[in-house]
Amino acid sequence: MKKTKISYAGQWLRDWYGIFIHELRLIFSDAGAMVVFFVGGLLYPVLYNLIYYNGSVDEIPVAVVDLSDGACSRRFVQEFDATRECEVYCKCVSMAEAEQLLRERKVHGILYIPRDFDSCLARMEQGHISTYADMSSFLYYKNLRTASSLVMLDEVHQIQLEHYAEAGFDGQSASTLVQPLVTEENIPYNRPFSYTIFFISAALMLVIQQTMFYGSSMLAGTLRERNHSFASLPDRLQGLGMGRVVLGRGAAYLAIYLVIGTIVTLLIPYLFRLPQHAAWWEILVLLGFFVVDCIFFSFTWGTLITRRETVFVLFLSVSPICLFLTGFSWPETAIPGLWRAVSYIFPSTFGCRAFINLNTAGGTLQTIAPEIRALTVQTVIYYFLACAAVFAENRLHKRLAHRREPQPSES
Amino acid sequence: MREIWKVIRREVRIFRQRPVYILASVGVMIFNTVFYVTFMQDGLPHDLPVGIVDCDRSSTSRSFCQQLDATQLSQVVYYDDLHRARRDMQTGRLTAFIVIPEGFNDDIQASRQPHIAYYVNSLYFVGGALSYSSILTMLNLTNGAVQRQFLRARGVSEGEILSRIQPIVLDAHQIGNTTTSYGVYLNSVLLPGVLEMIVILITVYAVGSELKYGTSRHLMKTAGGSLVKAITGKMAVYTLIFTVLGISLELFLYHWLHYPIKGSVWWMCLDILLLVAAAQAAGLFIIGLFPNLRLAVSVGAIYSVLGFSLAGFTLPVEAMLPGLRGFSAIFPLRHYYLFYVQEAIFGSGFAGWWQEVVHLLLFLGLPLPVFRRLEDAYVNQRYEKD
Repeated sequence: MKKTKISYAGQWLRDWYGIFIHELRLIFSDAGAMVVFFVGGLLYPVLYNLIYYNGSVDEIPVAVVDLSDGACSRRFVQEFDATRECEVYCKCVSMAEAEQLLRERKVHGILYIPRDFDSCLARMEQGHISTYADMSSFLYYKNLRTASSLVMLDEVHQIQLEHYAEAGFDGQSASTLVQPLVTEENIPYNRPFSYTIFFISAALMLVIQQTMFYGSSMLAGTLRERNHSFASLPDRLQGLGMGRVVLGRGAAYLAIYLVIGTIVTLLIPYLFRLPQHAAWWEILVLLGFFVVDCIFFSFTWGTLITRRETVFVLFLSVSPICLFLTGFSWPETAIPGLWRAVSYIFPSTFGCRAFINLNTAGGTLQTIAPEIRALTVQTVIYYFLACAAVFAENRLHKRLAHRREPQPSES
Repeated sequence: MREIWKVIRREVRIFRQRPVYILASVGVMIFNTVFYVTFMQDGLPHDLPVGIVDCDRSSTSRSFCQQLDATQLSQVVYYDDLHRARRDMQTGRLTAFIVIPEGFNDDIQASRQPHIAYYVNSLYFVGGALSYSSILTMLNLTNGAVQRQFLRARGVSEGEILSRIQPIVLDAHQIGNTTTSYGVYLNSVLLPGVLEMIVILITVYAVGSELKYGTSRHLMKTAGGSLVKAITGKMAVYTLIFTVLGISLELFLYHWLHYPIKGSVWWMCLDILLLVAAAQAAGLFIIGLFPNLRLAVSVGAIYSVLGFSLAGFTLPVEAMLPGLRGFSAIFPLRHYYLFYVQEAIFGSGFAGWWQEVVHLLLFLGLPLPVFRRLEDAYVNQRYEKD
């Protein structure tokens, strides 16, 4: 743009390179930042994979109170015991005994079959079965509900077939009557509703964003503590230099995070045998967009950090909030309007969704085009905000330095 | 006693000078509480988008769609072809979709068993699981409706029809959360977890700052050379704040929002007080073990974030790898959760949760082994600046 000096581009590049190298040196000489980037960035994905190694809870213990003790109720209990989700821990003689087991947390649910169950069925009346789920974890509830529903449906079919047989229908015509619709179940992406696949897919991208934010803010806080400001670091900088500072520093993080990001998004899923349905280069394209966005995001919000350690003290609880805002558990359509607006602040909102849809659901770059677009818009906005922050801080710093001039420097 | 009082006054002054303390404690807690409570205020999500590819366009298929749309859980989105629906599911815009084949109505009338296919997006956990169960229910109802038509035509009485279509009725009861509210389930443990995180971080930060800014000798002098007095005075200020935060949180959840609780809210207050005390002890242990603010804050951060997962209220501990299960015990939140299960869900009182009280009290012994180390660091101030 400014074509007054021919050497503008050369100067720009020289400044840029100086800042780039300086920032790399800063990062690599700061043990704390290195811990956050490399230990935090790589340790968390591994730890979470280990914690959520078994994605599903199988065979939760359930107490059975079978007061009916007839042929049908016993068949029900046997089938219930045979499900993957639940196992019969013991047969109790009374509800009181089962409740006691539930309180002692030896069982996580109760299956109660009342005295008249078999006689009701024999009289062609409805028989009732009650389940009581321990709601201390939703997975207990889900298992108990799934298992009892599946067995119930199967039993219902059996009983219906028997009833129709009594009425003179059998064979094909009876089964058509019992099941007029044939359903075909397709649960792609995550067939067993595994907690691992669902959680890790969202967490991987978030780890990239959060470790970068914490690490870079820590460094910025350190510099500010020493009364330096990253904005005015290189003495030989010419011109306003906002772009050079932001891009130079950014390049340092880009170099580091392309390595960490590749490990997190490609190697970790490979090592832990998570689904990897996208081509590796598509993941890298997404990673590129995401990491650049995260860099400018971190620079912009890192402006708020004035001391080294405060970033953790103030912003650690943002990590789980970001995770919820991605809509990985509570569906995006059910997020209240205000929080949906807040979610657009974070790169993770789009990055995690894109990664889930691309890598786990086996989409293509075309599938995640809306997320890529959103990331690009964010990148542009955060770039200018980061530049503005450098500019403002530079001004403030100069004014402070000017005022402080007569005193000898402290550090 | 006078020295402790002096330390308290000194701490109050620091607290007022540095806005980070009030922001990181009261500010963060209020923000998180408001966030999680309003985020999941509906208890369970509703109107989840479910796609329907209706190739039949008969009255039967339309009534199926309308009935599905009328359920609280689902909202029907119509599609013309399978590919668009599939793509929208892949991008997470649909939680599930159903394909109704051509000739659906005719096949049902002629007992030719038409095939209905449904696809569930299981990557978005709650939405997928809920849509799945609502689709299953709808399909079973449809099956029942067809049978009912047949039986009516045969002149079977209405009462008998019901017992023929549905010979077994399942009554599901949810103990401790009758409305199956996801918000109640998560917030009951998540918010105390946030408090635990705040307590650990602030404890580490407050004690470590004295080292970092080289003020620990001044603190020791104020306390008359006794680390016990110094720490007691320092912690007194924060204990008061955390206690107020904790009790406010419990009253807010169980008294104001009427979260279901079988036992007493006051026992839950005891629970959160023990959690605060245990977390403070854990924080002191961390800063004593690593008398270096930067390192200690990082360790405290990693520790408190892991607490959420290892407390076992999402994925139960017994489902984790055997080698990891034991580690859940080193997080105060785990014991808070077990106490909460006994008091709020089962209402079993002292007999149910006394062990968790003992476990949480055991945490209070944590600072003892690192006491000398912290004293050494405070007196000698061998803090590396960089």
